[in-house]
Amino acid sequence: MSLGEKLMSIPKWALYVVLILVASVPLFVPIKVPNQPIEPAIDLYGSLMNLPEGSTVLLASDWTKSTRGESNGSFDALVKILMRRNIKLAIYSSGDPQAPQVARDAIAVLNNEQRAKGLKTYDRWNDWVTVGFFPNAEACANAIANNVRTAFSGRTESTPEGTKRDVFQSPVLQKINKVSDFSLMVVITASKTSNITIERIYGKGVNLAMMVTGVMGPESLPYYSSGQIQGLGVGLKGVYDMEQLMETGITKEMNSSKWGVVPGFPGESNIGNGSRYYPTLHACLLLLIVAVVVGNIGTFLTRRKAK
Amino acid sequence: MGNFLLQAQPSLNFWNGENGSTGLWLKIGLALLAGIAMIFVLMQAPSQARRPIVMFVTFVSGLFYVLYYFWPRPVDRQPGELPRDFVETVSFYIDDAFGIVTDLSSVLSGLLLGLGIYSLLSVHLRRISRKQRDWGFSLVLLVSMFGMTGIGYWDWISRQGEAGIRLEDPNNWTRINYVKDMFFDGVLQNMDAAMFSIIAFYILSAAYRAFRVRSIEATILLVTALIVILSLMGAVEFLWNGAIDGITRNDANSFMNNLKLTEISKWLRDTVQGAAIRGIDFGVGIGALAMGLRIWLSLEKSGGKS
Repeated sequence: MSLGEKLMSIPKWALYVVLILVASVPLFVPIKVPNQPIEPAIDLYGSLMNLPEGSTVLLASDWTKSTRGESNGSFDALVKILMRRNIKLAIYSSGDPQAPQVARDAIAVLNNEQRAKGLKTYDRWNDWVTVGFFPNAEACANAIANNVRTAFSGRTESTPEGTKRDVFQSPVLQKINKVSDFSLMVVITASKTSNITIERIYGKGVNLAMMVTGVMGPESLPYYSSGQIQGLGVGLKGVYDMEQLMETGITKEMNSSKWGVVPGFPGESNIGNGSRYYPTLHACLLLLIVAVVVGNIGTFLTRRKAK
Repeated sequence: MGNFLLQAQPSLNFWNGENGSTGLWLKIGLALLAGIAMIFVLMQAPSQARRPIVMFVTFVSGLFYVLYYFWPRPVDRQPGELPRDFVETVSFYIDDAFGIVTDLSSVLSGLLLGLGIYSLLSVHLRRISRKQRDWGFSLVLLVSMFGMTGIGYWDWISRQGEAGIRLEDPNNWTRINYVKDMFFDGVLQNMDAAMFSIIAFYILSAAYRAFRVRSIEATILLVTALIVILSLMGAVEFLWNGAIDGITRNDANSFMNNLKLTEISKWLRDTVQGAAIRGIDFGVGIGALAMGLRIWLSLEKSGGKS
């Protein structure tokens, strides 16, 4: 077997072993990767930092742990910013029945970190509520766009006293009468619910922003380019961008004519899944490039020999 | 009819009930039984009678959304306001009915969950009872399903009332909360993540075998993909852009700035990728419209046939 043929026929198991090694090593060796946040992420951060304090954000949380690297990182970054800026959050899900529980668990983890540091927690009922799961994403988005009071009617949440009360009696939703009363609507998703939200809710007076997985990024980008969504975080790079922006803020060097200079939260616990997994993503993408190059060198050598 | 739909709005009336009350549960039970009875009757009806019923229901359901989007909408409607003409009467009717129709639509989607459970049970119970090939896996599936359901409800019940707030802090958890956490977060969610991560192996293997320079088109695709991959690597982007800045000595007006990885990937994203996806979406939209019209008017007859 010639060198070209050998390079073209590396067995699958060898590729898999190399992938396991390449993906695992960076998890144990923390590396700070230099990075330049891209415009959609800067716009997302700028949008969040310019929300009025005390206002309410509506979050469509449509992710589960299958995409936790990206989606959980996006969720954590969003909640940390809202928590620090004293902005309230109403969460609903229409993509997966597991999503509300996953969102509650993610907030519980963040609250444990806050408790451990002796900081104020993000409290259910007073700071955030979950409206629950809606089994039909299209119908749910339509209902929210038409009348958010009707759409969320009958939904209850636990009060600090332990009783269940209508979500619209909570400090989070008591001033909300229509969807345009939310200061921003964010969608964190690994599925088509981002597109459904834009199709049904865009134009109803509420600004939209998305934090989607890398797979859903290309589908969401046209909506960012057209200005239908204010900001966009895509995949793990989007999470890493957000974490970096939380640390540094939007600096003069980023040349953002839209936002100017926006402060960050230096020294606070800004590190999350983005910083944790970005080196792994680097290593895996590098391996992908090497594999493609090796395959093509093999093809080239084999062709040259055949001639 | 308009009054009937208005009655189903959040205020308490015959069609709803106090959250968690016995009356509400009774109504839910009766509605479920009535629904099952209607489906049974429909299934028993002769096929000649069944088809017009299905066609009629499909048409009326579709007509509602067609009217919702194309009929003039009430602007700044005040509570108790009466319609002045036919157009406004219809628009008020649609406005009032919308919440109910979306709720109905959500309920129908929820019933699919029940259908899924029924389907799982019928397939796997049959396989277990007949000891068919791999019946052990079916047993594991059913035990897992019922186990997770039971544990989930037990945990949910333990969190009702005052305990709910106390149990927000894991230091106050009881045994069932730990068990639920272990099964939901420790097992189910991690298995979910593990299944998804397997894709990485396929992507690497497929890229190695399929991404070859075989033609001009394949080369363009390969180079474009390479640039996009590199743009996702912050370190490469940082070094590349830094090198360009070094060449231009940070001159913001230099033409060389267009060769920054950020700029190339942005151009690819906005000009090539965005346009292609818009084209695909447009085609998909037209196809969905055509298919929607065929289904709405019951012209689509091939569904379900081999």
